[in-house]
Amino acid sequence: MVELWFAILCLMLVMFAVLGGWDFGAGALHFIAARNQDERRMLIAAIGPLWTWNEVWLVAGGGVLFVAFPRVLAISFPAYYLALFLVLWTLILRGIALEVRGLIDSGLWRAFWDTAFAAANILLAILFGAAIGNVVRGMPLQADVPLSLPLFTNFGVRGPLGILDWYTVSVAVFTLVCLCAHGASYLALKAEGEVYRRAKALTKWLWPIAVVLLLVVSAETFYVRPELFTRMADRPLAWIALLLTAGGTAAILTGPRAGAEARTFWGGCVFITGLLGSAAASLFPVILYSTVSGQYSITAYNGSSDASSLRAASYWWPVAFALSFVYFWFVGKHYRGRAQTSQYGHDPQ
Amino acid sequence: MTDDAAFWHRIQFAFTIVYHYLFPQLTMGLAWFLVAWKWLHLRTGDPRYGDAARLWTRIFGINFAVGVVTGIPMEFQFGTNWSSFSKYAGGVIGQSLAMEGMFSFFFESAFIGAMVWGEKRLGPRNHFLATLGVALGSWLSGYFILVTNAFMQAPSGYAFAADGSLRLASLSDFLLNRWALIEFCHNQCAAIVTGAFAIAALGAFYVLRGDNGSQGRLFLKWGAAVGLVASAIVAFPTGDAQAKMVARLQPQALAAMEGRFQSGPIAEITLIGQPDVQKRQLDNPIRVPGMLSFLAFGTFHSDVPGLGAFPEDTWPTNIELLYYGFHVMAGLGTLFILLMALANLQQIRGRLESSRRLLWILMLAFPFPFIANTAGWVTAELGRQPWLVYGLFRTRDGYSAAVSSGDTLFTLIGFAGLYFVVGLLYVFLVGREVLHGASPGLEHA
Ligand code: HDD
Ligand code: HEM
Ligand code: HEM
Repeated sequence: MVELWFAILCLMLVMFAVLGGWDFGAGALHFIAARNQDERRMLIAAIGPLWTWNEVWLVAGGGVLFVAFPRVLAISFPAYYLALFLVLWTLILRGIALEVRGLIDSGLWRAFWDTAFAAANILLAILFGAAIGNVVRGMPLQADVPLSLPLFTNFGVRGPLGILDWYTVSVAVFTLVCLCAHGASYLALKAEGEVYRRAKALTKWLWPIAVVLLLVVSAETFYVRPELFTRMADRPLAWIALLLTAGGTAAILTGPRAGAEARTFWGGCVFITGLLGSAAASLFPVILYSTVSGQYSITAYNGSSDASSLRAASYWWPVAFALSFVYFWFVGKHYRGRAQTSQYGHDPQ
Repeated sequence: MTDDAAFWHRIQFAFTIVYHYLFPQLTMGLAWFLVAWKWLHLRTGDPRYGDAARLWTRIFGINFAVGVVTGIPMEFQFGTNWSSFSKYAGGVIGQSLAMEGMFSFFFESAFIGAMVWGEKRLGPRNHFLATLGVALGSWLSGYFILVTNAFMQAPSGYAFAADGSLRLASLSDFLLNRWALIEFCHNQCAAIVTGAFAIAALGAFYVLRGDNGSQGRLFLKWGAAVGLVASAIVAFPTGDAQAKMVARLQPQALAAMEGRFQSGPIAEITLIGQPDVQKRQLDNPIRVPGMLSFLAFGTFHSDVPGLGAFPEDTWPTNIELLYYGFHVMAGLGTLFILLMALANLQQIRGRLESSRRLLWILMLAFPFPFIANTAGWVTAELGRQPWLVYGLFRTRDGYSAAVSSGDTLFTLIGFAGLYFVVGLLYVFLVGREVLHGASPGLEHA
């Protein structure tokens, strides 16, 4: 039961990383892929009518964490208090920017919201990356001492820890590049005209950079948490995830040159899934790793709610999960194919 | 400055939820108007309904967006600010919060874009379905949230886990909590009151301004008719049922709501008066004898306990605010019924559009349902004190010990600033839509 809920939690986060990821990535490229008003409208139209649906994976993932692993929530959220509020405020800004930029036909109005939108996306990609870095690196958990982490200390991964150090920052940079590449793949699939051409060119650059950065980050991870790699050896699920990553890598490296936009796009999705999957498979069962001593780590077993609560949730969760795709299908079928600027935004049509 | 960390956590939660709820109440209140207008448009082809739906859909879209962005922090604050509570009750209330995300947020978020921007693309039938989807989703969302709140007010369906925290014993007892059902009926009617008043206000504005006449008349008629029915149901049977339920399950809260310190039969209801907690009395009271007994227990002579009958450490912590919150809500509720009854009377006599004074009142009345709703929630949440989960878990044990009061104050100020800007933006954008109106020249279609 606990294993199942660990998997469900990971699934929710992977869905967010892949689906929300292309929105964030495309948004981070707002000024690079789209250079004028019409092109930016195109970019927004491509993110279009399903961005809230994509973002719900984060909110619902929070709900899953709450019901299945309340102790994890109760320890990590206060520990990252200010960082989390930074995420929340930036999410608010981003949502507002997306919704209101099209409402008024004025260059200044749009320029302002475009800037806010791009900046929010870049910051969020970095923050999400730093969050992953923190999960892998761990935090100085001790028995019954409420934890609160400073933003940074001496940027080292040993001793007094902060949220940012050389390791978490490099994961954040990797995440930003990876999501930008993913967003570019999405735009290459969804946009038209100049945005399409630029996005296509960007995938040629960004994906190879992401792969190189991945190698760097993997080497760093080996230094920070060597046991994650040794553990992988006897976990078949981790092998599958590694295979996915490898397959994805092949697709994102060959796809852009071959002009195969769909291959690049799906390759990117598989790449991100494989990466997060292999991380999850090697971290399990630890969710919050204690850098002080293993005995203080919060695992899926000692951090979960009672079995009866988990059982109840396993009745309704699959139903809701399946239903969410029904709505997606109903709406998505009307927006198939490349984006048209007239379909999103309040501009008189 | 209070050094009490719990205080700032409470203020922050109260501020962010009150602000958040300003938007969903209008969302939930408008949703069924839109469904009805889209339906009539689909059946009759009468363009007035299509225009009405289109104008209000644009306002709805802005309102919904603000509801969504202010809702996301709510979800996360359980973890950041109320972590001990989350640890204690997560296995239970996490169910309804996660269900809200999984069942209703996906539902709403898939359809909202299609509803606001997709009229042309979806065609009339599917656009109607998208509108219906948003309405259902937002009400479902409201239900799950109220289940969460109802558990805190009157826990049901739980048991204790080995470590003393709560676990779910029965999903159906939890989801069909009696408190939640009654709270839902009352709260959703109250949301419709908000929607109806907003629609009537815009109608009055257009008629007074003298243009957009046909839209104005439509809004006035619908707003007044629905407003009267909803206001009446808010008072009886749903408000009445709430009061009876509080009397039975939270007797201290009822006593404080009425400023009642002494127990006794033929309990009087207070119309006016200020509680003086120090002296344990109500200053300058104007009362109707027997009414409280009747409202709470159905007979004029029932014994209604006062606060004195309970140990002081189970008294609500802010009796004055609780008292005012309740009286503002119930007082406004009575006025709403009177106002809407008058509007409908004039409507039937065909005089509503020429009663300028009444139109002015209707136009300026739209903030008051927001006030009544907020006052109602202040009543519910303060009445629950000193408990976070009634009878089980105290509020002062629930906050995050790791977060200093300074950090909380800082994030509270951050929210205040951000929400101020969001509020300005909202007023500006909705104001623009209202001024544009549904005049044919600007129609988007
Ligand atoms: C337009 C708004 C509005 C209006 C006019 C009223 N209410 Fe209300 N009331 C609410 C909006 C509301 C609310 C915001 O929806 C609350 C907060 C919690 C809840 O379920 O509903 C509420 C709560 C609430 C409670 C508190 C429940 C608790 O302590 O948990 C009682 C006893 C009543 N109501 C009773 C009444 C009565 C007798 C009214 C007579 C006119 C009335 N309400 C009008
Ligand atoms: C629109 C609806 C709501 C309003 C206006 C509202 C209002 C308030 C207010 C005024 C407080 C502060 C009370 C105090 O001083 O302690 C409060 C506290 C709180 N409310 Fe609500 N509330 C609403 C709905 C909810 C719901 C649905 C939940 C649960 C899901 C909830 C959970 C809490 C919690 C956890 C606290 C903090 C603990 C406490 O002080 O009791 N509220 N709310
Ligand atoms: C009476 C109390 C509440 C009601 C009736 C309510 C209802 C709603 C509704 C109808 C929506 C969607 C439409 C809109 O916002 O305009 C919404 C959004 C949201 N609410 Fe509330 N809410 C309440 C309080 C809360 C609380 C206590 C939380 C925190 C757990 C919360 C979390 C959210 C979130 C996360 C969203 C965003 C949804 C999305 O991403 O699509 N709400 N709420």
